[in-house]
Amino acid sequence: MSYPNQPGVPGAPAGGQPPANNLVWGILTTLFCCLPLGVASIVFAAQVNGKWAAGDYAGAQESADKARKFAMWGAIAGVIVIVLYVILIVIIGVGASTNN
Amino acid sequence: MPRSSVARFGAVTLAGVAAAAMLAAVDPHEPGHYPTCPFLATTGFYCPGCGSLRATNSLLHGHLTGAFDRNPLAVVMLPVVLGAWVLWGLRLAGHTTWTPTAIPARWIWVLLGAILAFWVLRNIPGWTFLSPE
Repeated sequence: MSYPNQPGVPGAPAGGQPPANNLVWGILTTLFCCLPLGVASIVFAAQVNGKWAAGDYAGAQESADKARKFAMWGAIAGVIVIVLYVILIVIIGVGASTNN
Repeated sequence: MPRSSVARFGAVTLAGVAAAAMLAAVDPHEPGHYPTCPFLATTGFYCPGCGSLRATNSLLHGHLTGAFDRNPLAVVMLPVVLGAWVLWGLRLAGHTTWTPTAIPARWIWVLLGAILAFWVLRNIPGWTFLSPE
């Protein structure tokens, strides 16, 4: 079985290395970003090696990608919340100063 | 070595240094400096990350016990994150190193269990040694 048109998803392991499981990003999002989306990322990171060892190379790649995406979404959501908060503070600050 | 991965390493390093500088300068112990964790704000419960900004600020000022009081799990995991960053840099420099992908799945499940247990335990009234307060 091969996937000639899918870059990054080899039909056979090239060099026998599983894809990066992105675990550290999941840890960062979970513990330093205030959003539990990172927990989902860690679940997918845990699946990478098992799927790879079972010969499910496409599945391992898929789990690695999902681990990355969940960590990224968590981080992006955190940044959006901070930006909205700063905007809110500025609006309240402006409102307070015009009221005075 | 692809240039894009070096650029990614540089961007992550810059972001990390900027975040550390900001956390050291703008004290998260002061209310109003940073937004409250959205999970805490909406549910009233602590999440596994609550207190990690204050813990990191305390660490940056050399207060290990203060950091531990706010978020012990974050303090324990920070060296892991920093270690992974160092190894990432070494790999870009052409060395063959251990990677977090080599961690057996069992230990990642143990980590997940620890995080979930931490999440529950720090919300138990009276068990303040795990909660951020």
